[in-house]
Amino acid sequence: MSDHSGSRPSGFDRRTFMAGAAGSALVPLAARAAAEEARAPVAQDPALPVDVTLRVNGKDKRLSLDARTTVLDALREHLKLTGSKKGCDHGQCGACTVLIGDRRVVSCLTLALAAEGQEITTIEGLATNDRLHPMQQAFVDNDAFQCGYCTPGQIMSAIACVKEGHAGTDADIREYMSGNICRCAAYPNIVAAVKQAAPDIMKG
Amino acid sequence: MTAAAPEPKANMGQPVPRYDAVAKVTGRATYGSDMPLDNPAYAFLVTSAIAKGRINSFDLADAKRVRGVIDIVTHENAPDLKESKLFSNGGYAGTTIQPLKSADIAHDGEIIAVVVAESYEAAREAANRVKVSYSAVSPSASFDSPGTTKAGAKGQNGQFKEDPKVGDFAKAFNEAEIQLTASYETPTQHHNPMELFSTSCAWMGDTLVIYEPSQYVYGLKNGVAEQLGIDADKVRVVNPYVGGGFGSRGSMTPRTAIIAGIAKRLNRPIKLVPTRDQGFTIATYRAETRHEIKLGASRDGKLVALRHEGAEVSSRADPYCVGGTKTTTRLYACPNVDSLVSIVRADRNTPGFMRSPPEVPYLFALESAMDELAVKLNMDPIELRRVNDTTNEPIGGKPYTSRSLMACFDEAAKAFGWAQRSAAPKSMSDGDWLIGYGCAATCYPTQMAPAAARVRLQRDGRTRVEIAGHEIGTGAYTILAQTAAERLGVPLEKVAVFIGDSDLPPGPVAGGSNSTASTCSAVMMVCDQVRQRLFKAMMPNESLMDKAKETVGMGQTPSTEAAKSDRPLDLEKAFDALGVGVVEEYGEWKPEGAPPDSFKAMHSGHARLVGGAAMKDKIAYAFGAEFVEVRVNRFTHEIRCPRLVGAFAAGRIMNPRTARSQLMGGLIWGMSSALFEATEIDERTARYVNDNLADYLVPVNADVPGVEVILLSEQDDHINPVGAKGLGELGNVGTNAAICNAIYHATGQRIRKLPVRLENIEV
Repeated sequence: MSDHSGSRPSGFDRRTFMAGAAGSALVPLAARAAAEEARAPVAQDPALPVDVTLRVNGKDKRLSLDARTTVLDALREHLKLTGSKKGCDHGQCGACTVLIGDRRVVSCLTLALAAEGQEITTIEGLATNDRLHPMQQAFVDNDAFQCGYCTPGQIMSAIACVKEGHAGTDADIREYMSGNICRCAAYPNIVAAVKQAAPDIMKG
Repeated sequence: MTAAAPEPKANMGQPVPRYDAVAKVTGRATYGSDMPLDNPAYAFLVTSAIAKGRINSFDLADAKRVRGVIDIVTHENAPDLKESKLFSNGGYAGTTIQPLKSADIAHDGEIIAVVVAESYEAAREAANRVKVSYSAVSPSASFDSPGTTKAGAKGQNGQFKEDPKVGDFAKAFNEAEIQLTASYETPTQHHNPMELFSTSCAWMGDTLVIYEPSQYVYGLKNGVAEQLGIDADKVRVVNPYVGGGFGSRGSMTPRTAIIAGIAKRLNRPIKLVPTRDQGFTIATYRAETRHEIKLGASRDGKLVALRHEGAEVSSRADPYCVGGTKTTTRLYACPNVDSLVSIVRADRNTPGFMRSPPEVPYLFALESAMDELAVKLNMDPIELRRVNDTTNEPIGGKPYTSRSLMACFDEAAKAFGWAQRSAAPKSMSDGDWLIGYGCAATCYPTQMAPAAARVRLQRDGRTRVEIAGHEIGTGAYTILAQTAAERLGVPLEKVAVFIGDSDLPPGPVAGGSNSTASTCSAVMMVCDQVRQRLFKAMMPNESLMDKAKETVGMGQTPSTEAAKSDRPLDLEKAFDALGVGVVEEYGEWKPEGAPPDSFKAMHSGHARLVGGAAMKDKIAYAFGAEFVEVRVNRFTHEIRCPRLVGAFAAGRIMNPRTARSQLMGGLIWGMSSALFEATEIDERTARYVNDNLADYLVPVNADVPGVEVILLSEQDDHINPVGAKGLGELGNVGTNAAICNAIYHATGQRIRKLPVRLENIEV
């Protein structure tokens, strides 16, 4: 993206964006108050790049993005963090799941601009000094994947599932892990992995 | 040991964790669309909104106005591509319907334009602004639609050579003490692997690199080269990880050469990530099938007559069929057998392989009918299988190389608690839930294909294994590493495996459950070449087999022991004697009975699978038995499947951990095939309706409470050097029948059409 201008922290304007998005299939935008600093409501082409700073795995990443870019495409196409996967782009499969703050979200249905200023954690941000996160280790130990494509989303979802307090019983784990499709059907092993990692994660 | 890593029994390898486990849990495993490209342009497909007719015109003005659009390719300006023949007719393609060749439309969702733009967002926006004027013709959607044509598969499909028959079916059936005639139907299904059908193409001068999830990199490489009219050596397909295949990526789809052609014209790498719904029409699927089964038996349950007639839908252009009668006519002892497979042509995209292509629909029919026969005979369905068990298949009388069908039934029945079943329908319940137990047999042909490998051993024991195999979730990396470690006697962690790249020695298609037997046999053979060179250097006058073990210190120790031992001394001696630092060997292996042109075909990307029922003087199958418990709510008719138990025997089990996982996934696929999956087709428009993952039902975690996999010990010295039968497709065969048999037991209602929905239950 070469022809953008301006040194604003974000060229994105919520009101003009909402107007431009009217009638399209874009989801409503949960913009933050900080992004609403007064700017002239000039109609803008959504393809014109907008400056945005995303905080990913503890690091600020300055980007210039098409306003329609999702968190998933920002990670994959602009930050080369390809661990998060595109399986449907419709929020139906969970392969793109990341944590925003403590919440698990489908990054394919979250606009990058809406995530500005929030802490995004992806699969690449879990292991520290080459030591696997307990949930990653549990997935290895319990063979909780086959092709591995849904795995980053499963692991991010599983961490949130535990922290939400939804890993108390097998039935709970099954229910609260049902937003993540595994076509290879490693489901029983995923349940075993979540059970194994849960105590470690709750200990912190 | 966790449940995921079963203790190995006799003739099983160690349940070591997956070679690629850490890469997969850290996001470092790179799939096709993860591959970095230098300044790529993004492609977005426009697909047809009609199933049959012509494009009158495009209005591209609005689309071209979208900022960032680089090019819009339609049939009017598409790259000139050569046609490719169907894979079963000597070609590489999964369909001969070539989009962008003319204004004609052959099926719903055919690619009619490709928009290329600076960003994914712009390409998508512009694609949505492409306006198309069509002249639509009323299409034929499926079996009962006007305008379809029906003809026998034999003679039109090169891979379906014979309708098996033996004896005098008509006479034997008419005279049989017990007769059963029943019809069954299975629905359209789509693989829906998690990874989308992406393709990235980058040219470097006249050399093309393709990043695409493929189950056959040599087939794709040669097929795309043929379509582009260039030397196959100028094309390289790279996919170290594939996000699920299930058959959908076994043959070439039209998209690849189209994207390669556009990338060439624009002189820029192009990345295409089609949408999930486009995947329903730009790749293949499992077509709907219909069956009529006739069984004649004596009062003691012995089959005297069996007839299986199957019909399958295909496209107008291509005579694809799965023809599962080659299996169903040979599964049980029966002296009088008849069969017929027909293909019905409709205005559809061409179907293709989907996990256990012939056996899933055809054994649904046979194993449902066997249960119906057991009911008629007032006989336990396991005992019905036992009295019809056989050591020789009935059509040609050839012996099974090994057959543990009844051992599987007995083990699974015990684990399941079949003895607690009360036989009468509707006789078991728990509150509002009617409980049913059901079982069925599974089997899958043992197939092999030629494969080549390169193995490099260093004096410090580090080993590099190269073969253009595929990691589609099966554990290919893991078992190749185990095979080399065991054969060379080096620690497992010293073995590096390179697969998923058409620049490596040719491996077979990852289909038909042939990969383990083929690739591991090749790697074993080449490891032996390495050992031979080392041994000869040290003991020029001894024979390899007698002395290799003690002299060179390379026995076939289990990999865990090998991993603990450090025996570099002998290796170093051998390397000193040879006077080199590295030994590298290349070899080509082919299975017994492979056609004379095998190696040529292997290099040119033509799959030549042998085995199963097609062997000369024997027949090789893996077997299993599957038991299910279903619960049907007597008020809401909700159907749940709380327990799936399967016992399987498949020759040598290379790694009980990956084997169990595959079979477990297979059992869940089997349940899904009975209760969930069906692509709905609009009869009027011949279009797929539920083409997304919310409406095309696949199991989620909450659907799968209990799955138990039992691996039986089995040794078979008559199939391949590894002694392995494929098991990737074994798990999901017969499960659909077992579920319907259990629903009958729960409700007294026999369901012969899949999938079973709650509205089909009439308690």
